[in-house]
Amino acid sequence: MNFTKYLLTLLSLVSTTLLMGQTISGMVAGQNHEPLIGATVLEENTQNGIVTDVNGKFSFKLNNPESNIVISYTGYETKTLNPDGSGPFHIMLSPSEEALDEVVVTASSTFMDKLESKHVEVITAGELAKAACCNLSESFETNASVDVSYTDAVSGAKTIRMLGLDGRYVQINKENAPHVRGLIGRYGLSYVPGTWIQSIDVGKGAGTVVNGYESMSGQLNVELKKPENSEKLYLNAYINSFGRVEVNANHATNLTDKWSTGLLLHTNYLGTEIDGNDDGFMDLPKSRQINFMNRYKYNGERLKSQIGIQIMRDEKAGGQLGYDFGEDFQTSPEYGFMNQTTRAEVFGKVGVLFPSKPYQGLGFIYSGTFTDIDAGFGRDAYSGKEKTLYGNLIYQNIIGNSFHQYKAGVSLLYDDFDEVYADSTFARTEVVPGAYFEYSYLPGDDFSLILGNRVDFHNLYGAFYTPRLHTRYAFNENTAIRLAIGRGYRVGNPLVENINSLVSSRQFVVTEELDPEISWNMGGSITSTLHIGNKKVDLVGDYFYTSFENQLIYDMDQNSSQVMIYNLDGQSYAHSFQVEAKYQMNEFFGFKTAYKYYDVRTTIDNQLRRIPYISRDRLFLNASYATRYDKWKADATLQWYGTKRLPSTNDKPAEFQVSKTTPDFFLLNAQVSRGFRWGNIYLGAENLLSFKQDNPIIDAENPFGNDFDASLVWAPIAGRVIYAGIKYRIER
Amino acid sequence: MITKIITTLTLLLFSLAVFAQKEPVKVDKGYKVEIKTSAVCEMCKEAIESDLVFEKGVKEVNLDVDTKILTVVYKEKKTSADKIRKRVTEVGYHADDMKRDPEAYDNLPMCCKDGAHDDDGH
Repeated sequence: MNFTKYLLTLLSLVSTTLLMGQTISGMVAGQNHEPLIGATVLEENTQNGIVTDVNGKFSFKLNNPESNIVISYTGYETKTLNPDGSGPFHIMLSPSEEALDEVVVTASSTFMDKLESKHVEVITAGELAKAACCNLSESFETNASVDVSYTDAVSGAKTIRMLGLDGRYVQINKENAPHVRGLIGRYGLSYVPGTWIQSIDVGKGAGTVVNGYESMSGQLNVELKKPENSEKLYLNAYINSFGRVEVNANHATNLTDKWSTGLLLHTNYLGTEIDGNDDGFMDLPKSRQINFMNRYKYNGERLKSQIGIQIMRDEKAGGQLGYDFGEDFQTSPEYGFMNQTTRAEVFGKVGVLFPSKPYQGLGFIYSGTFTDIDAGFGRDAYSGKEKTLYGNLIYQNIIGNSFHQYKAGVSLLYDDFDEVYADSTFARTEVVPGAYFEYSYLPGDDFSLILGNRVDFHNLYGAFYTPRLHTRYAFNENTAIRLAIGRGYRVGNPLVENINSLVSSRQFVVTEELDPEISWNMGGSITSTLHIGNKKVDLVGDYFYTSFENQLIYDMDQNSSQVMIYNLDGQSYAHSFQVEAKYQMNEFFGFKTAYKYYDVRTTIDNQLRRIPYISRDRLFLNASYATRYDKWKADATLQWYGTKRLPSTNDKPAEFQVSKTTPDFFLLNAQVSRGFRWGNIYLGAENLLSFKQDNPIIDAENPFGNDFDASLVWAPIAGRVIYAGIKYRIER
Repeated sequence: MITKIITTLTLLLFSLAVFAQKEPVKVDKGYKVEIKTSAVCEMCKEAIESDLVFEKGVKEVNLDVDTKILTVVYKEKKTSADKIRKRVTEVGYHADDMKRDPEAYDNLPMCCKDGAHDDDGH
């Protein structure tokens, strides 16, 4: 034991009683001793602090002389130190490793980045583990902002909604490159295995212009497990009471001190025919998938780069009992649903850093994708091919000092579609060059403003001008307000976006030339942390308003034997309101609750109507329990869905009409997990209360008749599912 | 302030005393043992606790970084104080008189190595 240490402790104890409210001063510099202007120096755990002047110098009074000070500057590692004495201190910051990476990644639970100007929640790996099955569409079970719904009674596919609007208005990116869109816009969520995902950023409202013009109601960015920091080996096996089996294997390793590689494998199989409601139709299709990804990452001082490849094959066979993989749906005695999707993708990033100027950077994100779909719906065949090339060149720098930052860049999207349905052919090639400039004003921790502008020149639809504004103001360390406004565009894919209606006798009727969809989104949120005794309650309230200049109306109301597709003629808007409270009761128990209100109306057949399948009111309750180091974990989520409107079936014979509105209902999911040194085992249930929609298929006995319709789905078709799984990991 | 000084002085006195291995004592949930370790930081605390929490028969673990004392509550039928000490050495730390496993020590992060935190406690 060191005697001098105790002597020093005694001395410092005496000295602190004498010196209260000490002024400290110093200078903040980079590695080459160049002054850093506008670096933040804060007394730890307080708002007390100052920003460095033009010479990088600072001077301020500490409230508590024993406090640490925290020094931060964009592009540099944040430093915490104990200022023993009044200085002057010469503080050197080193450049941050992650200077060019656009997202934050942490290890546990959902959080909101308090300093971020945009309203972004991050769903982390810890939160994702609570939804044990199986892919991206099921990753939002414990998140209140993203709604998951069922598309139809045959394909088993789930889609997401945000702000009460269809999932097609959400931009879904994989590591900041476009991913779930185009022909895989409907089923693509099931092509991203859950165990590959490291974290998901959920942004509400208009997103950054850097990623394009498409985020109209929100954006999701999925970060996959990284070669440089993931487990050496991660194995997962899963089985559920329907007989679905999944196996996942991830591997990551460093090849040299700069090169690393990651391998992600996934396969799933369901061969059982499940028909819980005895309508002669499988409640969910038989399915099998093989999914493979391999990437290489180079992490140099001045250059960071990665390149990867993903190959996926997914097959589904559903419809009437007896229909099997490989059977010809056009001649089979049963009504068959078939989907075979093959997808190959090459993707990567290149980042050039300037070690002496960490705030400066040049990045290039690229991807090339080929998608091939062969599908059958009863006697009708669908085939689609899509070739996509995407490139985005981003340059970032500061103007004078780090108060003023910008990102500027150019992008190119090439998207070639070739679709055949029944006897009709649809083909188009989109070439969209674009340029953008995003300016950020970041004068301190309490205020920030981001103004983005982009212009794209669409070869078919002319110029798209996309302005976006985000701002954040913190009243104090507990309460902040964020406001955002922005315009968004997208070009629709009416066939795949109505793929649910293909499992019906409905005819597609396109009554006019279709235009791009254009919307304005505006809204904001207030986040606040209340201290009740020594406990914290986190509150979030947000409101967003989306208004369409043009929208593709998929009208299922006018005629129950048609889907009429036309441009919006009149009003179309969505009001979305949400309040959420989070409370960590103690070390073990946490609670989350949310209420959501959606008022979504659009002009259908010259009438402003509520859109179908949307609950106006929804409630969300989540309780979680965890012992230290997750030896035991339990989690339960209860959701209440208010009544929904269904498309009109008035013109059908009386026995085939469905009610105008649905009943309200509850869904309950729960999971327990036991941890070990090597991983964990888990047991869980989805739809524990076993709520099912009665008779989801109209005229199921007569699937080739004129009244058959399996698209009017508003609740689960299959009942309770029990699942169990095991995860095994070897850390590096 | 006075109590702080007294605590510091008391600690000083204790550190001069000859160190002795503590015997387990009976508590509600089984037996409790206090083990002196070579842990030096929060990361060591996490390394030891996150391993020992999954050791068979172990009910509770807590490591005090300042005193380096690891307190473990365990079921005497499933494990013993010596088995727990042995496991601590396998994580890479000394446990009372038992020396750490050299290979495990080599694999510890830099900040958990001897001398990484010197005298200023950082």
